[in-house]
Amino acid sequence: MLAQVSDVVDACAGQAECVTSYSDFLRSWLTVGIFVALGFVMAGAMLGIAMVLRPSSNRRGRFQEQKFITYESGVDPVGWSWTQTQVRYYIFALLFVLFDVEAVFIFPWATRLEIYDLFGLIEMLIFIAILALGLVYAVRKKVLQWL
Amino acid sequence: MGNDVNIGYLTLSAILFGVGAIGLLVRRNALVMLMCIELMLNAVNLTFVTFGSMLNDITGQVVVFFVLVVAAAEVVVGLGIIVAVARRRPGATADDLRVLRG
Amino acid sequence: MLAFVAPSIDYHAFAPELIVVAILAILVLVDCFTSDYDKSSQSSVAGFGLLLALIPVVTLAMDGTVRGMFGSPESGYAYVVDTYSLILKALFLVSGYVVVLLSQTYIAEGDYWEGEYYQLLLASILGMMVMASARDLVSIFVALELLSIPAYMLAAWRKRDLKSDEAGIKYYLMGVFASAVMLYGMSLIYGITGSTLLTEVAANLRQFPAGQVPPIVVLAVVFVLVGFGFKVSAVPFHTWAPDTYEGAPTPVTAFLAVASKAAGFVALMTLVFVAFPGNTSTIEPLMFALSAATMTVGNLIALRQTNIVRLLAYSGVAQAGYMLAPLAVYGVSGTVGLQAIIAYLLIYAAMNLGAFAVVITAARKTRSGEISSFGGLIQYAPSLAVLMCLFLFSLAGIPPLGGWFAKFAVFRALVGAETGWGYALAVLVGINSVIALFYYARVAKTMVMDPAPDGDLSPVRVPFSLRAALVITAMVTVAVGVLPGLVGHFTDSVTIGAALGS
Repeated sequence: MLAQVSDVVDACAGQAECVTSYSDFLRSWLTVGIFVALGFVMAGAMLGIAMVLRPSSNRRGRFQEQKFITYESGVDPVGWSWTQTQVRYYIFALLFVLFDVEAVFIFPWATRLEIYDLFGLIEMLIFIAILALGLVYAVRKKVLQWL
Repeated sequence: MGNDVNIGYLTLSAILFGVGAIGLLVRRNALVMLMCIELMLNAVNLTFVTFGSMLNDITGQVVVFFVLVVAAAEVVVGLGIIVAVARRRPGATADDLRVLRG
Repeated sequence: MLAFVAPSIDYHAFAPELIVVAILAILVLVDCFTSDYDKSSQSSVAGFGLLLALIPVVTLAMDGTVRGMFGSPESGYAYVVDTYSLILKALFLVSGYVVVLLSQTYIAEGDYWEGEYYQLLLASILGMMVMASARDLVSIFVALELLSIPAYMLAAWRKRDLKSDEAGIKYYLMGVFASAVMLYGMSLIYGITGSTLLTEVAANLRQFPAGQVPPIVVLAVVFVLVGFGFKVSAVPFHTWAPDTYEGAPTPVTAFLAVASKAAGFVALMTLVFVAFPGNTSTIEPLMFALSAATMTVGNLIALRQTNIVRLLAYSGVAQAGYMLAPLAVYGVSGTVGLQAIIAYLLIYAAMNLGAFAVVITAARKTRSGEISSFGGLIQYAPSLAVLMCLFLFSLAGIPPLGGWFAKFAVFRALVGAETGWGYALAVLVGINSVIALFYYARVAKTMVMDPAPDGDLSPVRVPFSLRAALVITAMVTVAVGVLPGLVGHFTDSVTIGAALGS
């Protein structure tokens, strides 16, 4: 493959246009080819070396229990994976969802800020003021306080 | 782009809507029912966006904004009520809610 | 890229909504900066705000011009203030005020969050007012959610009470399911017609000649209308109503039964008359079936109720059936049907709110919702018993009272259509009115004939706010019955979108 490419380059040696367009094109694809090949070699080498080195779970009849627990390394999991979370997190989550989603109206306005001019600015200020009212309410009702 | 009928997207959204509706009627866990409602609303969003693109009309996408925000508000309220129920009756399914009947 | 032109806003037309928003903001701020133990200012501010918002409604009605916003004369407007929307806004504001009166002592004395209650109530009323003016699928959807979401919370308002939680969650799940179905129908309509503006939807739907309407159009129209069928508790989508009504705090039940149901009808009327005027072949059979099933099933189940709130719930279902009836002949009767529904809504609001007011007042002594607990009411609270009989017989449609005119308006629309379906429905309405008389009369009989269940004949103390609510509703109920021209004067002038080329 390399030989063929250099042949083409040689054949076009006399013609300036041909050399620049045709060989550049092929050369850029050659880079891609090398990358792909390297990728396969790397991946293959890593997997191959690992396969040689690692203790196998099912070959040669050696069964390893550790392979079937949630985390192979680290702390052994205890109990069931359905655990309870403090319910006070849910108010934060709810508030986050609400205020996060309201932002959906602010982004389109922000992208056309100049066109909407003063009218858009006032409208958005009113919108944000109403949202802020909700935030004031949340603060005053102590839902944003930790513990 | 394109005014051709994207029948694939419309079919998908119809299927999603059907799955959500059937799920809401069949499942008995309040949280799963909430998820089914989300599925239905997002199927609607997909329909709106598909039609908007077919008609070269921005309205379809604007509607999605409103549906998104309203869906968020609905879910927040729904979760609030579900938590209120769960505090009184842990593990209650929709079938356990039958104090009121007749 | 089109240059952006700021929409011109007619602040006079928007004034009622803006006032309610301002009062809402004030309520939130006051609630934030007052002690948890003194929220008594909330109810007065809320009631005052609702009455204040009534002023621009009156001035707009006196002005009389049809005002449209967010659109053009050619395409129609997305937000319209005309006689139709004004009369309904007045209905929402006044019934909202009566609900505030009903709630005042009930919420203050019970185990409830008081501050937020009035905020949510006002938010819901705001949604209804927007609904009355909305002429666009998107704004109808947003208005529907604005009026529904606070109502879900209010239904579950009773603290630490499983019944109330159950009421809330049932209402929530059914309501959200309905709005999802409705929204899917709206998306299909948008896809078919390429617009969300109701006038343009109507224009585009007219291109299908009668008899060749594609199935997708039928599906879309049915989905949208069925979504509102849940809201007005039409059979077979009524299952949430009795449970929610019984579990929710009683003033909230009154609100749901009157204002929320009226809002559902407003949306139905707007859609049917503005967006789908040409789809009679789809809508008329659907409405015929819904109306016939709703009034019959509602009345039959009401016969065997022992709880007064559940009885009123099923009677409300049946009344919704009467109100749906003119829609089954809307292609022929047109504006007459529209006026009949509006007249029915106005009168129904007065008499139903009145009945709930008596229930709330009597329950202050009896602490019970069972019909048997009303025994002997005539002995220890004769005025309450008389008022309850007044409201019940008005609901039944006995001539000198308001309910009679409501039924008459519906009959006139049905018979005036001169179609077989119209006559059939008129006969059904007649039969059902006779059935309904049985259970209304049974409550009256209990109050008058039966002895008090516990022999306690001490009088009921009626707080001022409840007394005011009772007087307002009773006056309207009687006045409309004696002078039917009163409501007729308002409703006969109602036309929808006439000046806007639809």
